[in-house]
Amino acid sequence: MPIPEDAMVSQLSAILSPDQVLSGPSVQRAYDCDAYTVDRSKPTAVVMPDSTEQVAAVVRWCVANEVPFTGRGAGTGLSGGALPALGGVVISTKRLTQILEIDLENRCLKAQAGIANKRISDSVKTEGLHFAPDPSSQTVSTLGGNIAENAGGPHTLKYGVTAQHILGVTLVDPTGEILELGGKVSGGPGFDFVSLVVGSEGTLGIVTEAWVKLTPLPTAVKTALAAFSTVRDATESVAVIIASGTIPAALEVMDKGILHALEAAFGLKYPVGTAALLLVECDSNDADSAHEIVEREMETVEAICRANRAMEISVAADEAERQRLWTARKKGVGAMGRIAPSIVTHDGVIPRSKLPDMLDFVYDVAARHGGGVANLFHAGDGNLHPCFYFDDRDPVQVKAVVEAGEEIIRRCLELGGSITGEHGIGVEKIDLMPLMFSEDDLRLQAMAKSIFNSGELCNPCKVLPNQKSCVEHKKRWRGVAW
Amino acid sequence: MKDLTDLTTQCIRCGFCLESCPTFVVTGKETESPRGRIYLSRSAEEGKIAWEEARPHLNACLGCRACETACPSGVHYGEILELARDRLEKRHGSFAKKALLAGMTKPGRLRMQLGLAKLLPGKRIPGVLSRLLSGQAPEADRPVAPSAYSFPPLDEAPLPPIKGEVYVLEGCVMRVLYGRVNEITKRLLRQVGFAVRVVDQGCCGALHAHNGYLDAARSMGQGLSAQFSDDLPIVVNSAGCGSTMKEYENLGVALRGRVFDAAEFLAANGLGEVLSTRGKLEATVTYHDACHLSHGQGIRREPRELLAAIPGVTMVELNEAEMCCGSAGIYNLTQPKMARTLLERKWGNVEQTGASIVATGNPGCHAWISQAAREHGQTVEVLHTLEVLERALSGSS
Repeated sequence: MPIPEDAMVSQLSAILSPDQVLSGPSVQRAYDCDAYTVDRSKPTAVVMPDSTEQVAAVVRWCVANEVPFTGRGAGTGLSGGALPALGGVVISTKRLTQILEIDLENRCLKAQAGIANKRISDSVKTEGLHFAPDPSSQTVSTLGGNIAENAGGPHTLKYGVTAQHILGVTLVDPTGEILELGGKVSGGPGFDFVSLVVGSEGTLGIVTEAWVKLTPLPTAVKTALAAFSTVRDATESVAVIIASGTIPAALEVMDKGILHALEAAFGLKYPVGTAALLLVECDSNDADSAHEIVEREMETVEAICRANRAMEISVAADEAERQRLWTARKKGVGAMGRIAPSIVTHDGVIPRSKLPDMLDFVYDVAARHGGGVANLFHAGDGNLHPCFYFDDRDPVQVKAVVEAGEEIIRRCLELGGSITGEHGIGVEKIDLMPLMFSEDDLRLQAMAKSIFNSGELCNPCKVLPNQKSCVEHKKRWRGVAW
Repeated sequence: MKDLTDLTTQCIRCGFCLESCPTFVVTGKETESPRGRIYLSRSAEEGKIAWEEARPHLNACLGCRACETACPSGVHYGEILELARDRLEKRHGSFAKKALLAGMTKPGRLRMQLGLAKLLPGKRIPGVLSRLLSGQAPEADRPVAPSAYSFPPLDEAPLPPIKGEVYVLEGCVMRVLYGRVNEITKRLLRQVGFAVRVVDQGCCGALHAHNGYLDAARSMGQGLSAQFSDDLPIVVNSAGCGSTMKEYENLGVALRGRVFDAAEFLAANGLGEVLSTRGKLEATVTYHDACHLSHGQGIRREPRELLAAIPGVTMVELNEAEMCCGSAGIYNLTQPKMARTLLERKWGNVEQTGASIVATGNPGCHAWISQAAREHGQTVEVLHTLEVLERALSGSS
């Protein structure tokens, strides 16, 4: 017998304070999805704890009352990781937004999970440091969310994903116990549980605080935009650049499906007849010859682009221009609202050399499903983001978008890639897990999960398929969209 | 008029607006964020939730439109808010809010209220009125009738010949509380060769529009545009009024291309040069972006450049300069608690600059931040941007 809403609210209000417990139709509506809008499911209540102890108290209450709970940061996830699939309680980290300690000497910092990624970098900018993971959503997405999804970003190519930048976490485990994993110093003895928690999509508990590495900002940086008349020329350039041994800091492709939205939103300029833009950044903080290194790398990149028939290559003249280019790239997906009411940004990985053929396939899928597609993605990592746009009020279009995504992911696997690069499995791709993993693999993962989470209340129905009680409930939220 | 569903479906829920929204930054709640409010408006419009459910969240919005600056998809949040509030007011209007607006947007009535208010004890607005409007205790001081002001006659010698005429919007609150800024506007216009044509003027309807009385705003806009009957430029020194007048098209009123913020107009007509040759003011100045100037009109550069042009002035940037101070039209009367939280945050940032003057271009911010200054011992002087410019030219205050 599920606990009724008013009893839930009054009991949670007694643990926290009444203004930290939200419920009612507006709240349930507002929290029924994150930035992946195809699947929707309402929570009964949302809580806004302001300490690790409060998070733990709420989790213990949920366990005692058999109420499912799901952690949520900014709600910018793209695979439904913060979807309360079985209802219950959403535990928001948005009142845990403080930086707790900065250790400049050891280049690390401890912050609460609800802080926006970029605020971490802003806080140490004057010291010449930054938090390297830079998902496109970094102005709003939270440290906790980045940890849950093991977020990447354009500069992942050179600096690595979130996992490489987390030293330790404070985790409220699925029983409500507070665990300190790892710490300020990396490389401690014993099993590395931090790495297990990073990327576990909130299924192993709720991270409330973390020690993160701070990385020196480059002392020299150059950013160029190369315009190509075919997508193939752009993607072939990418493969050749990496094969040449030059590793740019970022290597991003934006195709014609989004260019006019970027022009309208950010004043991005490109020559007539452009089918794809390649955004390349080279950087270095070499003590002696940073500028020379960057100069040399950029020359290599430019030569390769020209050999691959680039129509125009322009290098950002100053920091302001560079920032404008990056704003256009990072906020690019957000500009898709100029084209259609809804989007799904798919996420898959393939070997870089297969990019040209894969892009052809993506356009073909879009044409067959009658939907529009824009691509803006981390080409250097072979990490695709076909962004399908549609009208969420039309169930036929919703279905078509989901099917198109599945086709694309299947192809990624055929080409030797992966079903996700950085957005996570969430609810979006849970049924695709068996395509990538054998039954044994999945069992092993389930066993790893059971170290922390033997029950089924902590962010249920995510990552691992065929969880009890999820299969029957799925039709309630799968693809309901609007 | 645009359709609420069309306007709201332009949002794809990317969430890039979240950290720009003062009420989200303070509360962390999705329901107090632009994305949440857009979703709730759309949900109510399409019958997924009752309008009454959305009401408290739409009421708690400042209407600062910082989210529009952050939004890559170009969602017209201001229009969504006005339409949604229009729906709410038509279903179940707030008598107290209506009465308040009626009192504020007629200069004669406002003056009379100031006179009567002197008879009341204390300095806050009456608790009874606050509770009617917000259910909370009052935070805002009662407006105080301005002391007399006078300016020395302009020195004719360096003035350029008159090259044209403009209108100056006298405003409602501006006229009663900041008459001196209107006077200064005329003096500064004369410095760059413009004379002011005086006509009878009514209210522009901005406060009505922002609070969801679109029909009233439309008729006020139509009345005002009839008063500015030819094609002279209209110079506005109140950001909230200017923003609405520049968007009159949304209400079906035509003033297109004729409305300019005072700083915008004066900068474009060479006041910067006048200031750099004839101005003088030893001061450290910081600048607070009025929301309806920065987010509403996209004007950030001009006021800063005019202030920086004054010999002797050192400009320091204000942390979170573009974050709302909480005044937000009548917000500090309808949502006193949140307004107070934002005011204290703003004042903390102002004090941190070490500036002796904080300049801003809107009467609401001016009065509200002035209250913080009074409460915190007048460590920083709060002035309209134009007052600083005038002081640099004539030495008057």
